[in-house]
Amino acid sequence: MRTEVTLPPSRPFAGTAAFLWTEVIVQSNERMAMVTSMIVPGVILVFVEILNPALISVALVGAILFSTFTMGQRVLNEAAYLRIDHKANDLYLAGPMTPEAYFLGMSFGIMIVYLAPTIFLGILAAIVVPLTLATALLLFVLAAVVWVFAASTGYVFSTFFRDNRAIWAYSSLFFNVFGVLAPVFYPLGLFPAALRPIVLLMPPSAAAALVQAAIGATTLSPGQVALAVGGLAVETVLLFAFAIYWARRTVRAD
Amino acid sequence: MATAAPQFPNVPTRGRALPAFGIVGWRWISRNPAVAITPVLLPFIFLYFLSLISPPSLLPLEIIGAMLFTMQNIGSWTLGDSAFWRIECSLQDMFVASPLSRIRYLFGIAFSNLIAMLPALVILLVLLMWVGGQHGYPFTPLAAVALFAGLFALWILFSSIGIAISSRIQTQREIWPVGNLTFTFLGMLSPLYYPISALPLLWQDVARFFPTTYAALLVQGALGITPATPLQMAFYAALLGISAIAGLAITLRLYRWGDR
Repeated sequence: MRTEVTLPPSRPFAGTAAFLWTEVIVQSNERMAMVTSMIVPGVILVFVEILNPALISVALVGAILFSTFTMGQRVLNEAAYLRIDHKANDLYLAGPMTPEAYFLGMSFGIMIVYLAPTIFLGILAAIVVPLTLATALLLFVLAAVVWVFAASTGYVFSTFFRDNRAIWAYSSLFFNVFGVLAPVFYPLGLFPAALRPIVLLMPPSAAAALVQAAIGATTLSPGQVALAVGGLAVETVLLFAFAIYWARRTVRAD
Repeated sequence: MATAAPQFPNVPTRGRALPAFGIVGWRWISRNPAVAITPVLLPFIFLYFLSLISPPSLLPLEIIGAMLFTMQNIGSWTLGDSAFWRIECSLQDMFVASPLSRIRYLFGIAFSNLIAMLPALVILLVLLMWVGGQHGYPFTPLAAVALFAGLFALWILFSSIGIAISSRIQTQREIWPVGNLTFTFLGMLSPLYYPISALPLLWQDVARFFPTTYAALLVQGALGITPATPLQMAFYAALLGISAIAGLAITLRLYRWGDR
């Protein structure tokens, strides 16, 4: 006997909260991954402390931005793992949950679980740098913007892969170029002057440059501030909108 | 029960593991451009970062560190490949059923991953010769022997650590965090990118339990970056060998082949 089940049309973003808590529970069991999320910022902070302790303030605020940036790597890994290895996204998306809720629920769930190391770095920065209330607020807003950019990038990237093995290479390259090569952990002034406009258009280093300017570690011209703020805002909004569109489109394509 | 030899008497069953895994390694990087580029670029990204924040005099030492760290990182890639083939492709069952022994399998995967790392090592070697010469540390035959001995010991040791850990991993989700945590942590504890004297005393003592420390001290001593007498060099070489053999013995005990 065949039974027809007609689901009512879902309102936009329906299911975000439910999938968010699913992802929080899943990620809470990934203790090893949580520890690993601190490894790269931890190693770089140790290197800076040993090789050039004068830069530790800049490295600490950079580590906060980098740790929110690498949450995108977790989104990439998780989205790819659920789709490729578990084939669970088909199951989730066959229900009333909307594709954008799947993307946002996953991103927020991962962010909530991986926030603890970032808060720890924030406390450390408040002691070492030290941060004024205005600088702390600026850092918070910029870290949130970097997270939106990274989560959107991670989700969109994850849809391009057919096997998990290739992801490690591509994601390592992407997150190291944007987070370690670009001046996130060191002052913008140490980066070649001719290439500074490029790194000011890369969200993690743009955010780092703005915070460095706020704590007096870097001097930015009004044009550089405009480039960093404008680039950060435009790229993040466009990429987030594209991630929502892409989440809906890839479901229809299936 | 039928075996491969009577069925295919003219097919050689020895001497084929390394070339076969060599082709696997080459195919993997030739089909995935990022896989070829990433191991080459990652040490340079890190080296560039270090060169910006540290005194220029440390650059030759940091290049040696990048070479040793690249070799150590083969362990992470070996872990990833071995776990992926076992969990996702169920290939290990086929290898267990074949005449291939677990040691040849280990060397095969280590060799296939070495191919991906070779371009980075060659470029770093050329850079070391050039920068070392400029800083007054010529690349002598003794330095070459020490460097290749250190790289070889780390290649074998960390590949075996990678494959031993991979044989205990249950899901693909664990591969990335376990590999990253293990190999980055081991790399950070040893004085690869800075002189051992720059570390706090307690850390120096801990670092002396790791083979990578002796590989670094041996190569730094051979190039003259960290002064060492011939007796000290022999001591470092002996400790590198002993700690590598001890590490190898432990990892081979942990390495599960056909029992699961």
